Amino acid sequence: MKRLFAASTLFYCLGIILVSCAKINFWLIFGLGIITFAAACLSFRNKFIFMISVFFLALILGALSLKNSYTRHKCQISNFVSYNDVVYNLSGFVDSEPEIKGKHTFFVFRVQEVQVDKLRWSCCGNVLVRLDFPQSLNYADSLILQGALRRPYVFSSASCSYRDYLSRQGIYLVMHIKNSLQIIPQLHKGGSRLIIFSFWLRSKMDEVISKYLPDLPAGILSAMVLGQRKAIPWLVNNSMVKSGTVHILVVSGFNVGIVAFIVNLLLKIIRIRRKARIILVAICLLIYCLATGATNPVIRATVMGLIFLLAYILKRNPDMYNSLAGAALFILIINPRQLFDVGFQLSFSSVLAIVYLYPKLERILRIDSCKIKILRFIAEGCLVSFCAWLGTIGIIAYNFRIIAPITVLANILIVPLATLITLCGFTLVLCGLFCPFLAGFLSTTTAMLITLLLNVNSVAIKIPGAYFYF
Amino acid sequence: MFNFTPEEKKVILFLLIIAFCGIILNNLAKLNCHIKKLFCPQVSLAKLDLNNISLEELIKTRCLSLKTSQRIIAYRLQHGNFSSLEGLKEVKGIGEQRYDKLKELFFVE
Repeated sequence: MKRLFAASTLFYCLGIILVSCAKINFWLIFGLGIITFAAACLSFRNKFIFMISVFFLALILGALSLKNSYTRHKCQISNFVSYNDVVYNLSGFVDSEPEIKGKHTFFVFRVQEVQVDKLRWSCCGNVLVRLDFPQSLNYADSLILQGALRRPYVFSSASCSYRDYLSRQGIYLVMHIKNSLQIIPQLHKGGSRLIIFSFWLRSKMDEVISKYLPDLPAGILSAMVLGQRKAIPWLVNNSMVKSGTVHILVVSGFNVGIVAFIVNLLLKIIRIRRKARIILVAICLLIYCLATGATNPVIRATVMGLIFLLAYILKRNPDMYNSLAGAALFILIINPRQLFDVGFQLSFSSVLAIVYLYPKLERILRIDSCKIKILRFIAEGCLVSFCAWLGTIGIIAYNFRIIAPITVLANILIVPLATLITLCGFTLVLCGLFCPFLAGFLSTTTAMLITLLLNVNSVAIKIPGAYFYF
Repeated sequence: MFNFTPEEKKVILFLLIIAFCGIILNNLAKLNCHIKKLFCPQVSLAKLDLNNISLEELIKTRCLSLKTSQRIIAYRLQHGNFSSLEGLKEVKGIGEQRYDKLKELFFVE
């Protein structure tokens, strides 16, 4: 079987889904796993039974990993908290890039020690902190926070609530701080140095973008290149949701491909050997993944990119399905609950739909037989867009209650523009960092393309029947 | 001298073209201020015009309740167009916190 890995990943996902639907004891699943493992060992020579055992084992592994993710660590802070307005002193460090929204600041705080009155003990876990004032903080800043701890509110239905959303990210508590006196900065730094470096690099790149572009284009480029969506106006985001083109505002596989391409090209110009070049490209991809916040689409694209690079070094042909499965497995092993995240589902379903449907539809429609190059290019673009739309329409309709037939047409026009903008954006950032005299010229073209994109989008959603909520 | 693939050559050419376009656009913008509209998006693309927005559009934003939307329209009919966004604070039901969110959504010409 050529795609044993992809099939095993599918069974791993099925295991996660099964356990989420039915209440099964952890140790019962574990026992089943041991029996299946024994069966796989005994049937080593019988190909069919061995295969079935392996698939069943993958299913059990998926089930076990989800069960395991529900079990909180013994020292998890949520195990020690009583929700009776007790003031806790939490020592630890800022574990995310602080986000300032209006007058509030939000960040994830990694707790290392808790103190209540004179009682102090070590613990672990993350807390979502909300400050009622803008505060200049950075990732890895060590702090002592004083305040009451609460469970997150359940804003919507119990099946898909804000509490569930946070618990999927390992956050079970929130702290609301109203006064800056409740924050005591510490001298030492926590966190990973690689992440500190990645965030520093991102802030430098963000500075370049804001320096050379007007506010609105800068916000859009920052989202497209660095995954920073905080400066995107509500109206722009909303109109892109309506036209089904909001995916261009997140960092995705395409950006990862461009980073790999540009780094490879630059290293080629300075004549670095092929193997060293591939290793350096892989390191740059990892840094880029961390700098953009390591969201699901970026992790997917980075893992796939690394698999492709590895195949390039080993001189083997990479299989698209296996590398996609490898990326999914990587994310799900770290956090199996990501399978229920809409971003994860959209990211993988769109790529899978393109990989699976595109060659089939291309053959049926005989696009290859078209002799006019531009027409063939447009037809291919339409088909890719159509496949991605088909792959995601169900998830979008279920989660967002919107169907946008304009998506296919809008993507045909907007995706090539977004491609040009991303290329220009990366070049602008590089020029801004290394040869600022060129950046001024590149920024004008980039701003013009972004303005064009916004205009095309606003025209697309004005077409009658472009989208409808249900 | 360098062993570039056809794709790499295309990218190098592309970068040269965008730099070239940038120089031309910069030059034209200096001569004619209307050209600037090409690379400075209009504010209406990012925000809603508070003086021209209808009740339906206000409700569609899902940021305001039906009552508050009606009050905004009523205020506009009673007092004429908003002269600045600060005027929103005079509408009943819009406090400091709500205003902070709404000012990201609307503009007044």
